[in-house]
Amino acid sequence: MKNIRNFSIIAHIDHGKSTLADRLIQTCGMVKDRQFKEQLLDNMDIERERGITIKSQTICLPYKAEDGKNYILNLVDTPGHVDFSYEVSRALNSCEGALLLIDASQGIEAQTLANLYLAMENDLEIIPVINKIDLPSADPETVALQIEEDLGLDSDLVQMCSAKTGEGVADILEAIVKILPPPEGDVNAPLQALIFDANYDPFRGTVISCRIINGRVKAGDRIIFMSNMAEYRVEEVGIFHLQRRPVKELQAGEVGYILAGIKTVSDTRPGDTITLKANPAAEQLPGFREIQQVVFSSIYPISTDEYENLATAMEKLKLNDAALTFQKDSSNALGFGFRCGFLGLLHLEVIQERLEREFDLPIILTVPSVCYHFYLQDGAMLEVDNPAHFPDPAGIDRTEEPFIKATILMPDRYMGTVMNLCMERRGENTNYHYPMPGRIELTCELPLAEVIYDFYDKLKSITQGYGSFDYELLDYRPSDLVKLDILVNGERVDALSQLVHRSNARARGLHACERLKEEIPRQMFKIAIQGAIGGTIISRTTISALRKDVTAKCYGGDISRKRKLLEKQKAGKKRMKTVGNVDIPQKAFLAVLKSEQT
Amino acid sequence: MGNTPGAGLYIHIPFCVSKCAYCAFNSFAPAGFDTSAYLQALHAQLLRLSRHPLVEKNIFSTIFIGGGTPTIYSARQLAGLVSIALDNFHFSYPVEITVEGNPDSIKQKSLYALRRAGVNRLSIGVQSFTDDLLASLGRIHNAAQAENAIKTARKAGFADINLDLMFGLPGQKLKEWRQTLETTCRYGPEHLAVYELTVEENTPFADLAAKGKLKLPHEEIVADMAELSQRILADAGYIRYEISNFARSGYECRHNINYWQNGSYLGLGAGAVSSIADIRISNTNDPADFNKQIMAGNDGFSGAEALCREKKFRETVIMGLRMVKGISLASLRKRFNLDPREYYGDTFRRLLDNNLLEIKDGGLRLPEQAMAVANQVLAELV
Ligand SMILES: Nc1nc2c(ncn2[C@@H]2O[C@H](COP(=O)(O)OP(=O)(O)OP(=O)(O)O)[C@@H](O)[C@H]2O)c(=O)[nH]1
Ligand code: SF4
Ligand SMILES: [Mg+2]
Repeated sequence: MKNIRNFSIIAHIDHGKSTLADRLIQTCGMVKDRQFKEQLLDNMDIERERGITIKSQTICLPYKAEDGKNYILNLVDTPGHVDFSYEVSRALNSCEGALLLIDASQGIEAQTLANLYLAMENDLEIIPVINKIDLPSADPETVALQIEEDLGLDSDLVQMCSAKTGEGVADILEAIVKILPPPEGDVNAPLQALIFDANYDPFRGTVISCRIINGRVKAGDRIIFMSNMAEYRVEEVGIFHLQRRPVKELQAGEVGYILAGIKTVSDTRPGDTITLKANPAAEQLPGFREIQQVVFSSIYPISTDEYENLATAMEKLKLNDAALTFQKDSSNALGFGFRCGFLGLLHLEVIQERLEREFDLPIILTVPSVCYHFYLQDGAMLEVDNPAHFPDPAGIDRTEEPFIKATILMPDRYMGTVMNLCMERRGENTNYHYPMPGRIELTCELPLAEVIYDFYDKLKSITQGYGSFDYELLDYRPSDLVKLDILVNGERVDALSQLVHRSNARARGLHACERLKEEIPRQMFKIAIQGAIGGTIISRTTISALRKDVTAKCYGGDISRKRKLLEKQKAGKKRMKTVGNVDIPQKAFLAVLKSEQT
Repeated sequence: MGNTPGAGLYIHIPFCVSKCAYCAFNSFAPAGFDTSAYLQALHAQLLRLSRHPLVEKNIFSTIFIGGGTPTIYSARQLAGLVSIALDNFHFSYPVEITVEGNPDSIKQKSLYALRRAGVNRLSIGVQSFTDDLLASLGRIHNAAQAENAIKTARKAGFADINLDLMFGLPGQKLKEWRQTLETTCRYGPEHLAVYELTVEENTPFADLAAKGKLKLPHEEIVADMAELSQRILADAGYIRYEISNFARSGYECRHNINYWQNGSYLGLGAGAVSSIADIRISNTNDPADFNKQIMAGNDGFSGAEALCREKKFRETVIMGLRMVKGISLASLRKRFNLDPREYYGDTFRRLLDNNLLEIKDGGLRLPEQAMAVANQVLAELV
């Protein structure tokens, strides 16, 4: 156990975690150059396309240190985006140390702080690493100062590197071995294995990722999940190289996987403890903190007969994404589906894409909402996160909506515009201070509903990328809500309804109509789009009829190609939902919320 | 179905004096290519394929020499191709023999020679009678040359002339399109192919469009242009028989109708496509490569596609619907043993109910008002 180091790489988004992971993997000789591709651990298509990490990924690296000894390094690359901080917190649970990466030209940003605090809560040893020192705009000295003053970390520990060129990477490996502590744990105690992640392999069943805290486990053992007492026989244990690699046994201190032919997806729950039937542990490990979903939206299959498939897919996805919650829902326009809770809008988009890519299920997401509190005149309180459950306005006594405390870090020159943005979004109690000359940390209390839309995109654009943002939920505060309905050719589309603050209703109604006009392709008849509150129309647009859509030329040499184009058009049609007689594309349902094309 | 009479023979000439800005055809400026070697390769492929087991039993009824610009070759050279074809394949007479040419390369003397060789249909790439627009398309002829070419063709005795016209051109006004149509009608060609400009990938126009520098007329204007063509041409006695094709009665192009019926055809030359015995085969695109392969004794093919029966059926339906009279239900039944009414089920009924399809005189077809939005319907049936 003395030769094991379990650590995470944590940082603000894009500071180079995955790229540093690449260099560490290469330096330890885990991949041939031929097999190498950038951000090797970002193996989901959606991660590669967007260039961001969404899931934490573990890999086990053999390392021969300068002291001549062989070490096993279990590295976890984590995501940086605020929506996925739950991935980070789970990763930290399986580690004793963390590399806190900071971009040498950007300096400390909101998730640098947020992730540092997470690591501190877990009592991890932290090595600050200043990355991207190769950039012409790099200012490592200032960043080192920030680390000392802003973060209160020991500047002697700071490592400098370029994950791009590889400079400094060898020193980081040495620092990991020297500074980070080895795991503790008792190999001879009863087994306690913490499940920190899982996914579903169609051939082998559930693949459980776990950290062995105490004891040992091997193929043939009978194991028990302590939360539900489900019992299985271990088929294989192993460690994570680029692929799974079976080993004889996993021992306290190690990170690896267990296969036990588990086909009942719901038996496995991240945070649960696995023990041995023969010699069970006395108690469960603490597990993970509760996750608070902040955005709610319903998922419907585009073709209503795919409901069962969707149900199965959601179960499997949940295994790999513990932050997703769902329960059955139904809609007049869309049939049966699920009401889901997400950690943010990006999380929601990721779930949508994963359902489509990994399970080949075209789906529709309804307009996202936060959870509101309605106090009725009869004294009852209703929690409503679905516009369909909006109570009769006549019976509402008062309404409350969730507020957050936003922390925004930025160069001071953006102060004015960012304050304006906060005011526009109904911000309250704005405060700021200067942690360093030239940099501002602004805090502001904002309605969550104003933030989930496009706050982050707006912030990024008005600060030219230099502003970063983190938030925590505060409390519920009085609000005044109305339900905005959208009518397409006179028919109300329940999936497009949203709850909005009365002061915003008209603007939102207009915005929704405009966005739908952009997203709904012209069809063979004129389409009227209206926004309404109760019986009052507050906004309208029309989409004129399509006058031409025809291939001018089609002769012998063109037939195959033209046919393929039509097949593509047909596939596109399949991804639309017909409401009344209007085909509404999938994208339109989310677009209603967003400010511009993203 | 390999031996149905009426197969088409297509010969591709992949050269143009200079390349038009919108062109996505398989054609190249002849500089840098050995055009006489290409002609030899064509001869060789003609002979070779005439004895190919898949081809032998076919009876052909049309020849079409297209391009590119076939008239970059002399009349004698083109006549040579025609006679090799006539001598080595089985034909049912009368044979429709078309040659395509561009106004700048049409000379009276050579037209006589083509007529003598049996060419009975001439297709002229006029595109427009507005000089500025021709220039911006990168065409190397002007309106006067186009008018001369038509007169010359008439003098040479061509009684079946097609003009290719284009609308929806960058900067084109409705008025200019009307003038082009009126000039066209004054010359009274037997056949007209009237295309909306399509911006194809990998063309200079596509690059311009990507940079936002291609100023196409507004969609509504383009739709007006299409309607205007139909009105003016109908008044002048032309019958629209396919989405983009108009003819005086009896002058419909048999060669092209065979494509829309998804019949058999043999394509010779670089980039040409054959559909024989239900296999679709394409020849290699690059003329030099094509020469090399043929001279090495190979077929010159670069790819093939065989569709299953249902896919072929659907393809036949969507191709047939391009024609105004549509596609005969009886012929579909005979050929595929399938009936679209049953095959497409609900989709079919919905299209019928919404007047996007109709059945008339035993034919399945697009109602007139659906022609302009044909893809909306075809995408449901493909
Ligand atoms: N110049 C330079 N660029 C770097 C360096 N390290 C990473 N980058 C670039 O920074 C960008 C982000 O790198 P990633 O490794 O994906 O960042 P990340 O921290 O994993 O990002 P998330 O997973 O989305 O939070 C990429 O374009 C990298 O090529 C470096 O040392 N120097
Ligand atoms: S003449 Fe025809 S084939 Fe030749 S470049 Fe112009 S459009 Fe293309
Ligand atoms: Mg990453």
